[in-house]
Amino acid sequence: MKCERLNWDLLVRAVDQELLPAEMEWVPAHIAGCAECRHEFDAIQGISQDVSAFVNHVPVVERLEDRAELAKLKSNRQAPDRVMRRFGWGMAIAATLAVGILVAPKQRGASADKPVVEQAAAATSSAIEVDGETFVALPYSNPDLPSVAPRIVQMQVPVSSLADIGLGLEQMASEVANQDRTVLADVLLGADGQPLGVHVLSWE
Amino acid sequence: MENGNSSSRVLLDLYDREQTPLKRYVTALGVDPETARDIVQEGFLKLHEHLLAGGGQGNLRAWLYRVVHNSARNRQMSFGVRHTGSIDDLSPAANPVARDESPEERVLAEERETRMRQAMDKLSEAQRACVVLRTQGLKYREIAQTLDLSVSTVGENVQRGLERLRELL
Repeated sequence: MKCERLNWDLLVRAVDQELLPAEMEWVPAHIAGCAECRHEFDAIQGISQDVSAFVNHVPVVERLEDRAELAKLKSNRQAPDRVMRRFGWGMAIAATLAVGILVAPKQRGASADKPVVEQAAAATSSAIEVDGETFVALPYSNPDLPSVAPRIVQMQVPVSSLADIGLGLEQMASEVANQDRTVLADVLLGADGQPLGVHVLSWE
Repeated sequence: MENGNSSSRVLLDLYDREQTPLKRYVTALGVDPETARDIVQEGFLKLHEHLLAGGGQGNLRAWLYRVVHNSARNRQMSFGVRHTGSIDDLSPAANPVARDESPEERVLAEERETRMRQAMDKLSEAQRACVVLRTQGLKYREIAQTLDLSVSTVGENVQRGLERLRELL
């Protein structure tokens, strides 16, 4: 862009009607009066419309019974539990993988150089109590997440994932080198299916 | 009981309004349409549970998008699915759409869609999610809540995603 008054960020936000009040006072007027910015604005708007057209052509599966199933819940308050059990194993598998795959790469770099005691202290400083059971909060847990109706799933969790979040290094001592091992743990899942905390049940 | 009726009304209103955009979003991330339907249905069941448990009713749309986004991500990781692999299944030929247009216009439209699909495949996961969520009418603040990003990062992803698309198209 040759015009130095507007950048892409402002132009995109102008297209999206996401300008701040102070920006609203001058950006639209500038676009209206500057041929180059008007050209860029139109280009961004054009791409946006193409993306919308593409997404709106994405095929979707519609089933009448889906809405009926939800409508039926109105008269049956227990229905969600029954239905949720259907997804239980899928959620458990997903959570295992989330702990094993998501946590490890995110935390590996951060914890590698910290002393063991410091890591353990950091890990235990944030705990979640559910039904009398204490879970070590996963470092990436977001307190803003929808965490109503959490579920606890018992599963085998890779030791490498626990080591990466600073859990169990003292207990495992030198055996932690065997990163292929798994341990039995309760994993606290939020309503969105993301693991929020871990409680290791056995270091056997 | 009044509370239950109110929750059901909120749930069904949201379902009528958002279920198709949600399915489009999940499918545009690279999940097959049938699985996208399961994920979205599951998301609404979680919302039902959330409402019955007395969960907050502020910005439930962003809540739903967040839940289905995470479910889609978990499924893709579970099965090792890459976006680029499955989004190819969304070819116009594989998904004929009834259009009131001539054969020539149809061919041009399909070519345009193919180019767009290939260009979308070249975006990063975050860029694609931000760009697609934007087409579903979510504000940057809602996209930030959905993807657990800052509003400024959403802005950067939208900007870079669109710049990249512009280069490619």
